[in-house]
Amino acid sequence: MLALRDLQLAMGRSVLGHDETSLADAIVGDGIAPESRLRIYRHHYEISLTEALKAIYPAICRLVDERFFGYAAHEYIKAHPPRRPCLHEYGESFADFLASFPPCRTLAYLADVARMEWRINASLHAPSEPPLAADAFRDVAIGDYPRLVFRLLPSLGYLESPWPIDRIWSGREEAVDLGEGGCRLEIRQRGEEVVFARLDKPQFVLRRALLAGERLESAVAGALAADPHFDLAMALKRLLGEELVTGFSLAPDDSQTSF
Amino acid sequence: MTAISSTGIGLRGPHLAAVVAAPPAVGFLEVHPENYMGGGPALGALERLRREGPISLHGVGLSLGGTDGIAAAHLERLAGLVERLEPALISEHLSWSIVEGVYLNDLLPLPYTEEALDLLAAHIDHVQTRLRRQILVENPSSYLSYRHSTIEEPAFLAALAARTGCGLLCDINNIHVSGRNLGFDGEAYLAALPAEAIGEFHLAGHSINDVDGQEILIDDHGSEVAAPVWALYRAALRRFGPRPTLIEWDNRLPALPVLLGESVKADAAIGEETSSARAA
Repeated sequence: MLALRDLQLAMGRSVLGHDETSLADAIVGDGIAPESRLRIYRHHYEISLTEALKAIYPAICRLVDERFFGYAAHEYIKAHPPRRPCLHEYGESFADFLASFPPCRTLAYLADVARMEWRINASLHAPSEPPLAADAFRDVAIGDYPRLVFRLLPSLGYLESPWPIDRIWSGREEAVDLGEGGCRLEIRQRGEEVVFARLDKPQFVLRRALLAGERLESAVAGALAADPHFDLAMALKRLLGEELVTGFSLAPDDSQTSF
Repeated sequence: MTAISSTGIGLRGPHLAAVVAAPPAVGFLEVHPENYMGGGPALGALERLRREGPISLHGVGLSLGGTDGIAAAHLERLAGLVERLEPALISEHLSWSIVEGVYLNDLLPLPYTEEALDLLAAHIDHVQTRLRRQILVENPSSYLSYRHSTIEEPAFLAALAARTGCGLLCDINNIHVSGRNLGFDGEAYLAALPAEAIGEFHLAGHSINDVDGQEILIDDHGSEVAAPVWALYRAALRRFGPRPTLIEWDNRLPALPVLLGESVKADAAIGEETSSARAA
């Protein structure tokens, strides 16, 4: 008798399109070829995952048209089957796939637009956390500021591109001059929705470093390198005012450096 | 937990805002927990809706019949949602979805053998122990059956309920779809189910397709409930009495009032079939 493990391995190969025949003998035909019955499951797998990708990457679908998107999705699904049952978590590597997908070679900005869509999707499904109050740092001694490590919104993400991907994403790409330069984006939940905004370089460098868990001292060094006139007090006020900070701690005092 | 008295609807993303803005007068809302496992505004909305009425969690990702075993991380995420939402019902499927770590994104058919029964019973035990709750197990829609199956599907479900104490989610559309595809009678299937184990009914639409010149029904949840499914639902009501009933609609999602209209039809069927039972 066919062991359940062997049946599932064979069915897995069939659904993934690797093997249409080895399970056929185990299936009741009854007027329909076992292979045709198996194909129903394979078809559903491909269609449903293509729909899942389309839901996460609507701008890519619009930019390349639906038929080409279906082809790209088909190739992606073949190379990267899902490993988890939450479909909003499927497709993280689609941008990297598009970047190296030969038919997309002429659309240099496409992978970055996909990265933006993935980031929007990830923000949408990130846990919500209440922000700290505007006076949250009042009990922190000025001398301890360099050691501050922030916990920022779980939905927060930063993305830098040499292309104006926010304008391409928004659907008026005919009017976008690809030579107009790139953008640095902040993407986050705000209330019930996900929003994004352009940041200038020092703000972007500071916030991205803080999100990565760097101490304030090291994040500020990056911001100052981008702009020697960087205003730290204003930057901290904005971080709290924009409700980006949900917690903070002090890193161990292993250096005597101060601002 | 809250007792459920009447018909509910499957809540899908595109309807969420409308439902939050004006919670409809339905018995309960059912969602796929997998869509809420990250968190974010949708989960916040669901928590607010939970205060208005009961929620049912209808999982699609546990792969209860999978020889890979139950993924611990997925079960923990489900347990976290159960704790947050205190659902009135929790259900999963008589199927498998994962092999060698690949999620095949479907509710794939099992052979009904002693080996599969032992595996399912162990996995259902494990899940119920972790959740400290009974779960309901739903009969699948099938497009094939295996030659080496030795147990009829309803007997297999009855054995699972007896061995694990799980309840059964009796999907009327799935019985109709599988019955037509595999050649069994829906009413005979109902007659073989243990009435006391049935905790919920599902109703949904299906499509009719041609494969190799033969008709195959596909359980696509993309249309109104079909007439023969309503008839089988009424037969189930007469046999088992009323149970929480859910209208599932996932593809080609209609405007919310259309979905609510289906739940009104189910309410009418419950009223007619159970009052005629009382009169008889």
